[in-house]
Amino acid sequence: MELGLYLHFPYCISKCPYCDFNSYQLEEANQIYSYISALYREITAYSQKLKTGNIKTVYLGGGTPTILSGTQIFNILKFCEDKFTIDKNAEITIEANPGTLDGEKLKLLIESGINRLSLGAQSFNDVFLKKLGRIHNAQDIINSYFLARETGFANINIDIMFALPDQNTEDLQDTLKKAVSLKPDHLSLYNLTIKPGTEYYREYKRGKLNLPTEDEEYDMYNWVIDFLEENGFEHYEIANFARPHKKSMHNLIYWQNKPYLGIGAGAYSYIRGYRYMNYENPVKYIKETMSGKLPKDNGERLSLRKRMIETIILGLRTKDGVGYKKFKKRFGVSLNDIFCRQINKLVNLGLLEKSYVKIKLTRDGIFLANVVFREFVD
Amino acid sequence: MVKDYHCSMENIRNFSIIAHIDHGKSTIADRLLEYTGTISEREKREQVLDDMDLEREKGITIKSKAVRLYYHSQDGKEYILNLIDTPGHVDFSYEVSRSLAACEGALLIVDASQGVQAQTAANINLALKSNLKIIPVINKIDLSTANPDRVMQELQNISEIKGEEIILASAKEGIGTSDILEAIVKKIPPPKGSSNLPLRALIFDSIYNPYKGTIVYVKVVDGVIEPGMIIQTMSNDIKYEVAEIGIFRPKMQPIKKLTAGEVGYIIAGFKNIKDTQVGDTIIDASNPAREGLPGYKKVTPLVFCSIYPVDNKEFENLKIALEKLKLNDSSLFSEPETSEALGFGFRCGFLGLLHMEIIQERLEREYSINLIATTPSVMYQVFKKNGEILKISNPVSLPPRNEIEKIEEPYVKVNIITPSKCIGGIMDLVQERRGSFKNMEYIDEKILRLDYHLPLNEIILDFYDKLKSISSGYASLDYEIIGYQPSELAKVDILVNHQLVDALSFIVHKDKAYKRARKIVEKLKEIIPRQMYEVPLQATIESKIIARETIKALKKDVTAKCYGGDITRKRKLLEKQKAGKKRMKKIGKVEIPQEAFLGILKI
Repeated sequence: MELGLYLHFPYCISKCPYCDFNSYQLEEANQIYSYISALYREITAYSQKLKTGNIKTVYLGGGTPTILSGTQIFNILKFCEDKFTIDKNAEITIEANPGTLDGEKLKLLIESGINRLSLGAQSFNDVFLKKLGRIHNAQDIINSYFLARETGFANINIDIMFALPDQNTEDLQDTLKKAVSLKPDHLSLYNLTIKPGTEYYREYKRGKLNLPTEDEEYDMYNWVIDFLEENGFEHYEIANFARPHKKSMHNLIYWQNKPYLGIGAGAYSYIRGYRYMNYENPVKYIKETMSGKLPKDNGERLSLRKRMIETIILGLRTKDGVGYKKFKKRFGVSLNDIFCRQINKLVNLGLLEKSYVKIKLTRDGIFLANVVFREFVD
Repeated sequence: MVKDYHCSMENIRNFSIIAHIDHGKSTIADRLLEYTGTISEREKREQVLDDMDLEREKGITIKSKAVRLYYHSQDGKEYILNLIDTPGHVDFSYEVSRSLAACEGALLIVDASQGVQAQTAANINLALKSNLKIIPVINKIDLSTANPDRVMQELQNISEIKGEEIILASAKEGIGTSDILEAIVKKIPPPKGSSNLPLRALIFDSIYNPYKGTIVYVKVVDGVIEPGMIIQTMSNDIKYEVAEIGIFRPKMQPIKKLTAGEVGYIIAGFKNIKDTQVGDTIIDASNPAREGLPGYKKVTPLVFCSIYPVDNKEFENLKIALEKLKLNDSSLFSEPETSEALGFGFRCGFLGLLHMEIIQERLEREYSINLIATTPSVMYQVFKKNGEILKISNPVSLPPRNEIEKIEEPYVKVNIITPSKCIGGIMDLVQERRGSFKNMEYIDEKILRLDYHLPLNEIILDFYDKLKSISSGYASLDYEIIGYQPSELAKVDILVNHQLVDALSFIVHKDKAYKRARKIVEKLKEIIPRQMYEVPLQATIESKIIARETIKALKKDVTAKCYGGDITRKRKLLEKQKAGKKRMKKIGKVEIPQEAFLGILKI
């Protein structure tokens, strides 16, 4: 079985006000030691079960994985190599925040086998960076980026957020032009979403966030797509843009609804039609691993229909859409037989494009992807 | 411990408690029940007499109740005290008047800090009309804001009540309870009437019980009633055999007979609550009294609205729920109705706005039916050119303007009691609501009583809320219907995506049509979510557009991030949203959430 491996690192130097990820401000270094030990225990527990698994991609995400020292990261990856079968050409990505990187650490990351770096830049405007609660400024991003290039990273992604409070299209254009001028291999463009439980959410409820209107957001996103395509990026997933041959292989596993194993607090796994989640709280997670059990919190065995729906929803996020042949091969039934009504309706609305080999979102459909997806869910 | 004894009429006292809302009526009742041992410590809980959840939550008493207390007085004698609890809101004034008719006296409760309120004055009038002996009680004297001296003066200013009659109490602290009980025994006269005369029993309430059928609350004025007797009501020839009679302690407790002066219940296989209307007289079928007790009238609904299930499949459930509610509420009116926009539903009539709110809430809460209720309306009288006179409560039924000679709408006399400093704001409000000033008098140097005539339509929506906000909660209101007067009225229609939404039509005074129409389309624009295409909203009078807005087409609805576990949450969220859309009403191709209809009610 081929699969992707995800490792979660829930700690950050500080918690950003918009963030609803499973991440926590690091209080003391000891937390990291116990957390790493827990990761080792979980990896060991799986090594028995997944002997035959062939890991095609590895992704270290967070939180802030680079809050760990270079050596710690090196050891974790070596341990993984020891316990699992990792493909020698595997794409191995680490998320990093500018400001948590230095030459020494970057060198160790390369030595660990990491070959892709994802920089959480978010903006190139210091005013917005500050409002977002980021610990870095625009110059830090540029410094980290070039340092990573010099150290030998040949595949770098930059994360950008848009539709920020008080942001207009010009602000976004300025940031994106700066990002593109660095010549990254990949760009992820996320519009800010206000999530319950965050500080931004509370401010939003109090009417304190001056967010762009739906129309402004539409204009921003529209411009982003045009601009990046003009600059040689392929818009291969709703929020992701890549230079040729630089798509995120790990994330493609998610969008193709293929199996992956998640290690760490709150990490999700999807194996043999079963999707489950580890305990989110790091303390609880650590405790569970000590008992020798897998730190699973809850899971869902997906029915054939649910698997089909998820495969469509995820597949439609990508430029490749959902191919009839692959669908038939995977589920034994024809996409057009099962979802004929939905597909025709969406085609008529101009949101879906139907060819002889696949369905995919139209440009309008990309903007109204949720309208399309709602049509498919039960 | 079952006490079941009859004492002579001399030792019976029938009384009710009347008060403005929140002045502590139910708490006083609780203290009386405890003091007389009618309920034990164990059974004690707040507002013992209020059964329904809603009553407890809103702190109001919706249905009348009756409970028998046994009291050993300081004069050494045993008394039967029948406490007849009454609703405290103006909507239920007919029920109040019938309950009072079953009594010889009333405790008038006034809040020691709030003082005399509109309903206090209205209650005094009602009690005097029923020839009741009033025992004035100033409650909540324990409050730091209490000012019993001021309140005593106010009471004396608005009525014949004398200072020395007034009892000071705090039901919360249990102060004054024994004084109240002694006053009931000493000051309230025993019931008149005779056990030797043919049976006459006043129905002052009835409830439906799924096991026992309709249970009728009565006061036996003359004669005796026993199980096995054949009875009928004065207004109806249907005969029933009495199956059970009893008293409330406060739970139902069967007894052998009820004699003149006593209060209790009758179960006699009444099929329908309509056969036992409040105010009617129960008589002995074999020895019928010649005259019924005075005061019986059929209650007529004043406020109307249409109620539709959000999901058309719920129509049957709504029908059943309304029937069940009507079993207990003879003043609730409903008949099936069809709307192009909303499908099958009911046109309902209510005693007032509170009554309407209570019914809607009970349908949603007790029967779990999601409702859409249209803007409340009153009953208009439409005089057609061909001489026909129509009674119309639903804007949809209004004939075309060229067929109409004139329209009349119901007017009410409104009595407002307010601190004098708020008078400016109140005058503006009444003016804006097409009211005309009738009278003003000072209750004391700081408190005024104002009389106005207003169209009922102008007070059914938010008049009370506005009045409260203008007066920082101090002003209070009471009203009574005074009849119909001609008015310049017009029907405004609302079109969504060029399609008439009949359920949103409303009748309004011409001078206000434009402003109201403007507000409604603006509100609709705010509430109706963007659709896949542009949706025009228009308000029209006789197909002339008087206001318009446009809902822009949906442009962006996409979630940026979707990795690993996100898909689980994402799919569930999409499923939830889709279910939500199913609950929306489709008008043509436009999906309108329930809040759109509710939102308009607030305009």
